[in-house]
Order: sequence, then C-alpha cells, then structure tokens
Amino acid sequence: MSADAVQHELLEAAVTALPPDKLSAVRRAALASFAANGFPTTKHEDWKYTSLSAVADLSNTWLQENAAAGKTKPGAVDTEQTEQIDAHWIVIENGVVDPQSLGKLDPLAKSGITISSLADGVDEDSIAVDDPMSAFNAALLRDGLRLTVAAGCTLDKPLGILLLDDGSVRVTQTRILIDVGENAKLRIVECPVSAGSAQQFANSVTQAALGTGAELDFVRIQQRQKDHLSVNRFSASLDRDAVLDYNNFDFGGGLARNDIVADIGATGAFVNLHGLYLASGRQHIDNHTRVDHRVGPAKSTEEYRGILSGQARCVFNGKAVVHDGADGTDADQSNHNLLLSDKAEIDTKPELEIYADDVKCSHGATVGQLDKSALFYLRSRGLDKDEATQVLTRAFASAILSKLAIEQCHDYLASALDKHLDALIEKD
Amino acid sequence: MNMLEIKNLKAGIGDTEILTGVNLEVKPGEVHAIMGPNGSGKSTLAQVLAGHEDYDVYEGTVEFMGKNLLDLAPEERAREGIFLGFQYPVEIPGVNNTYLLKAAVNAKRKHQGLPEMDAFDFLKIARETMAMLGMDQSFLNRGVNEGFSGGEKKRNEILQMAILEPSLAILDETDSGLDIDALKAVANGVNAMRDPERSIVLVTHYQRLLDYVEPDFVHVLSQGRIVRSGDKDLAVQLEEKGYDWVREAASA
Repeated sequence: MSADAVQHELLEAAVTALPPDKLSAVRRAALASFAANGFPTTKHEDWKYTSLSAVADLSNTWLQENAAAGKTKPGAVDTEQTEQIDAHWIVIENGVVDPQSLGKLDPLAKSGITISSLADGVDEDSIAVDDPMSAFNAALLRDGLRLTVAAGCTLDKPLGILLLDDGSVRVTQTRILIDVGENAKLRIVECPVSAGSAQQFANSVTQAALGTGAELDFVRIQQRQKDHLSVNRFSASLDRDAVLDYNNFDFGGGLARNDIVADIGATGAFVNLHGLYLASGRQHIDNHTRVDHRVGPAKSTEEYRGILSGQARCVFNGKAVVHDGADGTDADQSNHNLLLSDKAEIDTKPELEIYADDVKCSHGATVGQLDKSALFYLRSRGLDKDEATQVLTRAFASAILSKLAIEQCHDYLASALDKHLDALIEKD
Repeated sequence: MNMLEIKNLKAGIGDTEILTGVNLEVKPGEVHAIMGPNGSGKSTLAQVLAGHEDYDVYEGTVEFMGKNLLDLAPEERAREGIFLGFQYPVEIPGVNNTYLLKAAVNAKRKHQGLPEMDAFDFLKIARETMAMLGMDQSFLNRGVNEGFSGGEKKRNEILQMAILEPSLAILDETDSGLDIDALKAVANGVNAMRDPERSIVLVTHYQRLLDYVEPDFVHVLSQGRIVRSGDKDLAVQLEEKGYDWVREAASA
C-alpha cells in the first residue's frame, strides 16, 4: 500500500465503530465504493499537480485515534460573515448542522423552502458516490443539509451557510443536497472558515439539481486558516432553460481543491462560472471545472483569475465537453494569473473536447506580472510603489468581483478581498 | 531660484546614450517649448525628468527648485510638484478615474502636510475643468483612459494637471494625434494653467500647438542636446525651413 493512501482497515473499523443512525446504510454502501479506488494520487491526470498525501496521513491518524468520538454539538456562532452578510444563516460546525439555526428557518417553509438535516434520514440513492472523494465523504457521513425549493418559489434574501471547522474534529465531511424546482430561484452564500491551531481536513460535497427554468446563484467565500486542507466538490445538473451562476473565492487554506462540475442535459441552459484565488506563502489552490454540454443550444461561460505571491502553487483546469449532437453550443473559458513573485507557480489548462459540428467555443489563459508602464504612470501621479502595486492588483481582481452573482455579499467580499490583498502584497 | 536647472545631462538606456549633454534653465512663470525631430531625445528628456526607471543617468545634474531631482523616486517628484503629461497615457482598466485623481491629489496634500481635499471642492474643480476641456462628466466614472480615444486621453492628462496644480508641468507631445477642436481645447487647458509661480515645458514635434500656446522660449533638441535656443520666432523658422536646417547649423 502506498504511503499516500487511506488504510482501508482503519476506515472500515472507524465506520463500523460509529453508533448506528439513519445514515448507517449510506455509510456501509459508500465504504464498498471507496474500497474500489481509494484516494486519487498524482498518477491520476486530474490530480497531477495536487497531492493528497498530507490528507491521507492526517486521515489515517484521525481514523486510528478518535473518529467515532468526532461528533460535537454545535452552539450558536456569530462571525463577521453572519453579521455582515444579510442572509438567512445556517451553521454547520465540524460537519454537523446546528439544530438551533436550522429551527429558526422553519418559517421559510411558507415561502416554499424546506430545509432538513440529513441526520434525520435521507434516501440512500440521493447520495452520490461516483468519485473517490465523494465516496470517502459518504463513508463517514453523519449529517448534512437538504434544501428544496418548490416550483415557482423564491426567497427574499440569500441563504447563508457558515461551514465552521473549529479544530476539535480533525477530519470533517459535509454533504449538501439542493433541489431547485421548476422556475424557482435560490441564492446561497457559503462561507467556509476554520479555527484552532491543529491541522484539519474538510471534505465537502454539494449536489444540485436545477429544474426547468430554475436558477441557482451560489457564492462561496473560503477563508480558512493556513493549516487547513480541503477537498470540495460542487456538481449541478441543469434542465431546460435552467441557469447556474457559481462564484468561488478562495482566499485561505493551506491546500484547497475545488471540483466544479455542471451537466447541461437540456436546451437553453446557461452555466456561468467565475472564481478568484489569492495564494501566498506555500498555499496550494486547485480549481478543476468541467461543463458537459449534452444537448444544444446552450451556453457556458467561465472566467477564473488568480493572484500568487511567495511560493504559492495554483492549478486551473477548465474543461468543456461538447457531446455528439450538442449543436448550437456556445462555450468559452478563460484563466488569467498575476504572479507577484518569481517563485510562485501556476499550472493552467483550459480544455475543450468537441464532438459536435455547429459550435462556438473559445478558451485562453494568461500568466503575467503587473504592467510596468501602468505602475510608472500611477507613481508619476504621486502614488508610492506599494500603493500603485495594490491598486493594480485590486483592479485585476475586480474583474471577477464585478461579476458577483449575489449582491448581498458584495460589500463584505470587497472588504475581505482588500484585507487579503494587503496581506498578500505585504508578505511578498 | 530656478524652477528647473539641467546641467550637462547625459542619459540613456543601458549602453545606448540618448541625451548627450543637455543644458536648460527654466524660471518660474516661463513657458518653454522643446522641439526636435523624431529620435532627438525629446521624450527621453521628459521621462528622465519624471523618473522613469528604464533610463539611466550617466552624468550631469538636475535641480528642481534647488533640490537634487535625480535622487527622488517618481512619486516623490510628483508630490514635490512635477507633472508629466504622457505622450501615450496608459489605459488602466478597473481603476476608476476619480479614484486616481483623488489618490494623486491627496498623496500630494499629505506630503505638504495638508488635510485631504474636500469632496465638494474636488468635484467643483473637476467639473469646471472638464467643461473647459469639453469632456463629458461620465469620464470621471470610467476606468483610467480605458477605451478613451487619442483626444480623450490627452484631455484627461490636462484634467489631471489642472487638479494637481503642479509647479512644473512637462507635457510630452500633448498635441500629437489631435484634431483641431481637441488641440484648441487642450491649448485652452494649458493657457488656463499659466501662472507666475508655475513653469510649463512643452515637448513637441510640430509648431502648431505653439500657435495656441505662446512660449517664452523655444529650444531645438538634436542628437541628444540643445543645439539652438530662441524665442517663438524660432518655431516659425523651423516650420519653414525644416529640422535639416538646425541639424546643418549644429554640425557646422
């Protein structure tokens, strides 16, 4: 067995030791799925630049020591996010839904939104385990959320999900199931944060199904601490004329891997993906996106930007697959990177796989430094070098901020971005 | 005291010497025009005075109001009161024009120990200047020079100058690429800045700007040094006889 694998007997023992609950059957089924593949390694094309060996080490230690004792009772949590972003907040602490925050949202049922905890039971088939990390997630799953929006319904403001890892449970699994009904609309702001000084690993999976004419706006603002490792998967299926607007902002974490997957199964659907990553020190941020165009006409557009300093390492892989017969597909992808240090590294690969004839597809990637003539221009107007650097870096990032899907988090995000950019430039 | 005093300035890029010994004195209130053929070193002189780091100064001195200018970073020169109007103003998408104007004014005011400019005063000056230059107010909310036409970029430079109120303005080919209306608007903007306490150096290839902004002195730069100086009539002579005339005179 290679060093970077999860030891299966440890996982099996931990899963067996968990007290029986309504997710026992889900865990047992997932354990079998996970056994077939284990963790992906850098030998897998999709994981070439991102090693999970630190995650495997941590998981093995944790499974051996205290996996069964992991469940904690969340209490009320107020953070800058819950205070500054106007939303209906739900707190998920160490993978466990805070029943109090959930209870407060019961009245939303009147607006056609039902929110339940997975610990109260879930249909086994609705938990996807078709990739190794999703299987690992399900094998240790003890809670999660199910959000359902009835046809034609919408909420007055976004739903906020605070994902807090407080350090007391070193490996956490979160699963969120979203169902947006016909012509319904849902906006979600997800804020993963962490506390404590211990190394932690969070493995989260979000599955969304968008009905005919449904719209899902999803903004994820990840600001975990530098000793935090995460793997996050977001997948969505889109029915006719459905719209997915997904933005992920990765400002924190030592290792953060995102897989964002959208499946266009009917005509008129629109997938809009935007992301921004800031990495300094030895941070490693990896965004893998995949959009499957199974039918056309339909449109997908994607823009990711990154700002790297220190010895940061980032990865971007954006793939659009236009399947046979998906004529009328319009897909474009771009990835732009600003390298503030010569030791930072980005591996970027926008990819198109086209099996249809009548399509409009484009992609592009850039990697560069700040424009010297723009720096001089600003300095010649009296801005000092640091300020000019900051202004230009912020301008580079603002291209993504200006496309933000959810207005309610704009001001918070803008100030968080400023703070992270200041730190990034200072350290450089 | 001289506003600007350049003595035997030799500068270039790497081993390529472009300025081969420039001498120039500019007193407060004076308007000087520096003319010359392409490649004579006009823009290099402007860039060296503003502190562009691509250029190396090999020899000579530059004093600005008695201070050694060459010791100062570009931003320090700006705060001390030097303004360079760029030949090719840089487009900076994502940076708001108003933001830059305010940041520039306040950087200078902070340096002078003054409080930040009142927002009302700022808008008043900006609006008046824009009206004089024939600029639409919407320019304030656009990205710096983003998508501006050649004429709009030059007007924007004059707007920045008017708001920054420099002691010494160096305008590098501010007239190039302008139609007659834009040229007149820019000239009006420059004339409005004339002041006994302020000096203006116009770097230009053609005489036509000087029909609207009358210089006190005209200098001809050739092969990196000033080969002839005179009053505004020199510009007229140049227009008639061409630059070959001064080149011949210089090598004779």
